[in-house]
Amino acid sequence: MPKVFTVDVAKCNGCYNCQLACKDEHSGNDWTPYAKPQPDIGQFWVKLQENVGGTIPKVKIHYIPYLCNHCEKAACMEACGRGCFYRRDDGLVILAPEKCDGCGKCMKACPYHAIFKNDELKICQKCTGCAHLLDNGYKLPRCVEACPTDCLQFVEEADAQAFIVGSTVNMPETGLRPRVFYRNIPGKFIAGTVYDPVEKEVIIGARCRATNGGKTVEVLSDEYGDFWFKDLAMGKYDVVIEAKGYEYKTFDAVDATIDVNLGDIAMDRV
Amino acid sequence: MVVKPIDIKADKRVFKAASLMGPRSGLPTVVESDKDGNLTRIRPMHYRDYVDWDSKNPWKIEARGKTLTPPDRTLPGVYYMSYKKRVYSENRVRWPLKRVDWDPKGERNPQNRGKSPYVRISWDEAAQIVADELLRMRDTYGMSAVLSQADMHGEGKHVAPSHGCANRLLSLLGGYTSQMRNQDSWEGYSWGSKNVWGGEPVGEMQPSGNVWPDIAKHSELLLFWAADPETTPVGFDGYMSSRLNQWLKSIGLKYVYVDPALNYSACYMADKWIPILPNTDAAMFLAIAYVWLTEDTYDKEYVKTHAVGYEPFFDYVLGKEDGESKTPAWASEKCGVPEWTIKAVARDWASKITSLTIGNGGPGIRGAFSTEPARLQSILLGMQGLGKPGVHQAKWLEWNLHTPVYQMPYQGEAVINLPHRAELVRPYDSSREWLAKSLEVHSPERTDEAAKEAKSDEPFKIQDDIGQGRYKLSEVASTIEELAELCKITDIPPQQSVPRCMVHDAILKDSIEWWGLYSFCGPAEQQWTKHVFPRPGHSRLHMIWTDAPCNVTCWNDGFNFVKAYRSPEIECIVAQHPWMENDCYLADIILPVATKFEMDDICDDAGGGTLTSVFREYPACPPIGESLNDFDCVATVARKISEDVFMAYTGNDKAVERVIELFWQGSGVAHLDTEDEFHKKDIFVVPGDTRIQEAPAGLAEFAGNPDEHPLSTPTGKLEFTSTGLLEHFPNDEERPPFPKWIEKSDLHDERLSSPRVKDYPYLCMSNHGRWRFHANLDDVTWSREIETMKIRAKDGYQYEPAWMHPAAAKERGIAHGDIVKVYNERGTVLCAAYLTERLIPQVIYVDHGSRFDPIDVETLDRGGAINLITPHNNISKHATGMVVSGFLVGIDKVTDEEMAGWKAKYPEAFARKIDEACGVCLDGWLIDS
Repeated sequence: MPKVFTVDVAKCNGCYNCQLACKDEHSGNDWTPYAKPQPDIGQFWVKLQENVGGTIPKVKIHYIPYLCNHCEKAACMEACGRGCFYRRDDGLVILAPEKCDGCGKCMKACPYHAIFKNDELKICQKCTGCAHLLDNGYKLPRCVEACPTDCLQFVEEADAQAFIVGSTVNMPETGLRPRVFYRNIPGKFIAGTVYDPVEKEVIIGARCRATNGGKTVEVLSDEYGDFWFKDLAMGKYDVVIEAKGYEYKTFDAVDATIDVNLGDIAMDRV
Repeated sequence: MVVKPIDIKADKRVFKAASLMGPRSGLPTVVESDKDGNLTRIRPMHYRDYVDWDSKNPWKIEARGKTLTPPDRTLPGVYYMSYKKRVYSENRVRWPLKRVDWDPKGERNPQNRGKSPYVRISWDEAAQIVADELLRMRDTYGMSAVLSQADMHGEGKHVAPSHGCANRLLSLLGGYTSQMRNQDSWEGYSWGSKNVWGGEPVGEMQPSGNVWPDIAKHSELLLFWAADPETTPVGFDGYMSSRLNQWLKSIGLKYVYVDPALNYSACYMADKWIPILPNTDAAMFLAIAYVWLTEDTYDKEYVKTHAVGYEPFFDYVLGKEDGESKTPAWASEKCGVPEWTIKAVARDWASKITSLTIGNGGPGIRGAFSTEPARLQSILLGMQGLGKPGVHQAKWLEWNLHTPVYQMPYQGEAVINLPHRAELVRPYDSSREWLAKSLEVHSPERTDEAAKEAKSDEPFKIQDDIGQGRYKLSEVASTIEELAELCKITDIPPQQSVPRCMVHDAILKDSIEWWGLYSFCGPAEQQWTKHVFPRPGHSRLHMIWTDAPCNVTCWNDGFNFVKAYRSPEIECIVAQHPWMENDCYLADIILPVATKFEMDDICDDAGGGTLTSVFREYPACPPIGESLNDFDCVATVARKISEDVFMAYTGNDKAVERVIELFWQGSGVAHLDTEDEFHKKDIFVVPGDTRIQEAPAGLAEFAGNPDEHPLSTPTGKLEFTSTGLLEHFPNDEERPPFPKWIEKSDLHDERLSSPRVKDYPYLCMSNHGRWRFHANLDDVTWSREIETMKIRAKDGYQYEPAWMHPAAAKERGIAHGDIVKVYNERGTVLCAAYLTERLIPQVIYVDHGSRFDPIDVETLDRGGAINLITPHNNISKHATGMVVSGFLVGIDKVTDEEMAGWKAKYPEAFARKIDEACGVCLDGWLIDS
């Protein structure tokens, strides 16, 4: 039965266990015909990416593990002239190392940079989904098993529908139909702190609005005078901050193609 | 395409826990190896593969209509997952080594320690040299000339513990000087908070049982005060803390982090991050108290009935004592937090049911005057009704330590108390002057006589059996005669001790004195006693035997440790360690130690947070090179002294198999194993105690009735003004009777107000790193690919990251990845700049524990071992601990010319081989490598 990887980004604590467990399984271990050894350093069949957004003190990080997408329409497989690739019943796409001569066509074809060149062995290499283990009584790929927060999972596609519907894949525009599904990748934020510079007090409950293309999001500043517009679609936002007894403040065309901290915003008394 | 099943090389499966805190930490992983004994993989352990999980009563916390349960697998962290690289490290000590120009019968060349390479010698030669040196010490100076450095942290081993095996031998020879570990993980609490709330034995809130279930049910706000659930718990307990943290957030608790850096938990979990200048938290606490007092938002009734000595403290806060109100404006200047934010956090804290969480980091343990923020934390919790539902100090790790009821409810029906056979940090016995005299003996036989005489005396009292993993047999275990005999502590304690944070002074100065620290985790009363070194009639130090060779990289003023170890007074240094790192380069003889993966052993999981267990640890692979386990390293030396000493040391050479069986029998849980799972499955999972959550949470009983359930303070109450400090040190300006803001003192001038800022304009913060456990695992090639672990600079060397805010970097012309020098009066450490918005701009942040890689051995390091330049002096005059974070440094880009100059001046240092992936490696220190 075909399986898929699912990634709940909200649960990722950035521990790198996935990346390390992959190396533990594949570096220095020869799993021919599934895979030849991964070099000790330099290849990342699973790679954790840190995404840092904002400026002090409004900074957030989310981590995203990237691995071979085992695409339904695998570009690597199509590009390979030697028939090195095959797809298993469980959906995993395998690059058979014994056939590979390291020509690198698959690397060029993969838009996800999920294939690596091994100069010493003169082959290309990539994630196997630990198929050698799955075929020998182990239930999970190593990266999944090592994930302490259940962020990364490997599940029957049929059972994962609730996750898949509404999820996203990496660069859907490639049209390759990746089989690693992500949820909870945060959108951009605009944040700030509202305070009274005379009283030197934060302003709680200020009405903060961000407008883009006729759509407005509204939040109230919290106990710390903080407001967070979270999970915004990329774009330019007009931000208006209103608090009773104060002149309102505006920030025009705030560019939320990155996370934005508007800083500590001094509000003037009416 | 059908692929035939292949050999996945799992010929052997054994349980192993790295247990890096030592015994009573760690969780089992399954380690698989092939038929040739090569390690294949390390995986989490799935309980259901071995036991009937549901019948083991896995715990659950129910709160707000939600339930948290443990996963049915263990949650090993980065250290465990990469341990194969530790076992097979390029940096392993493979054979006994001798410094090439150290000749015990001729020139010893102490000035070349840290410079000269090593030659391989045989075990026979190494053991003979060490044996001869010990006997020479005894005949020349007495055994007190030998300093034993044998304290945490190393792998938690039981049959052959990482630390303290040598102590056993040294005792048999007549004694030694003990390096007494300062309370490095709890210093401010120990020297400060103990004088507020007792909290024996380490000064954090005790009892602390069930605080997490109670927080889940009642708390609304969690303050993370320099606490990072993603970092410090990992070496002890794995990732249960991450799951707990995520769950509490999901059921609606609000998270506020106070930390100079956006730590690894805050960066994805915080509702609010309040960046603060390092070690200025005392100012912020005082201002919070000011807001509460002036706005009348503290628990007045509780304070009246539960606290003493609060008036003078309140007067101080309100400025009645010194004319200066500790207002948010006043504090803002000191701590860098906006006045409006201080007011906001004060009001949020007062209006919500709040617990304050900690995790072995921050100003309460690592800064100058750490007693003050620690005490203030305790007092502020007291002002909001400490012990009432949801009001606690809670910890993200060490849930099983120091408390009869664990902080998380995974406790078993009985508590594991697994024996081990080593003598860890043991206090000298001041009542035994007579014995010290009789130690001027010159044969093992006489020693035995002295020992017999000692037996008739009152048995030696161990101060406590908690800290340091010091083992005291449980009542059940001590009835097993064979086990009692095996674990019998030798009769001769060390004759004197030196605080670990003062070892350099002990070597370089004529004499030293200090307060307290008679034992590692002694009661508060110990703080009132003064000690000296050398003690009358005892020797200065002339030999060092270390099984914890990391003082240069983990302790205070590391470069001063280097100077001390290069002193001609120190005639011989023996390091016993699996890896060639840190203090090892200063040793004359290095004994190769097998890691626990290579050993036959038994281990316990009391920290992992799923369920507790005892498991057999068969060897996962053969020993690397000629390495021996710690116990056998010392036994090999013992045999060179005499057969009698060897037999006394080994407990009559008992077989390992038998030792393990005895330890199991004495584990405290064997009686529960009615199905004999330990022998059949190699693991006994202790059934959870389903009623444990009925026990009171934290200080609930004290909160309910302080007279019936007093604290261990002299008054039984929360002492806002300490009875003990008032009596013993009423005029101490660094640790006054009630806590104050201490700007500077004769010992420390490490604030941005200091004139030293002209040369050293940044505050250096140094915490426990996420990818290392103290100085352990700096050589793991896989984690060295993570940018917050190492940065490969343009010269190809992997430097330790020095975090800087981009604004600060811009001022100094530093770009991300540049090689930089971090420096002060004590020396220079090279790093690579890691520019990040995650840090308050006046701060440079370097994790501690990177390996020393000397360029100029006494002043210049390439490895990024930041502790080399940490302050020298103790916390304060009467508080014997170290200051290793929040100190002034300068930072500049290293120019090509400067680097070229160093290369020309120190060609030998740059000629040492550096492994591309592992960095510092054994080959670099071997001659003819």
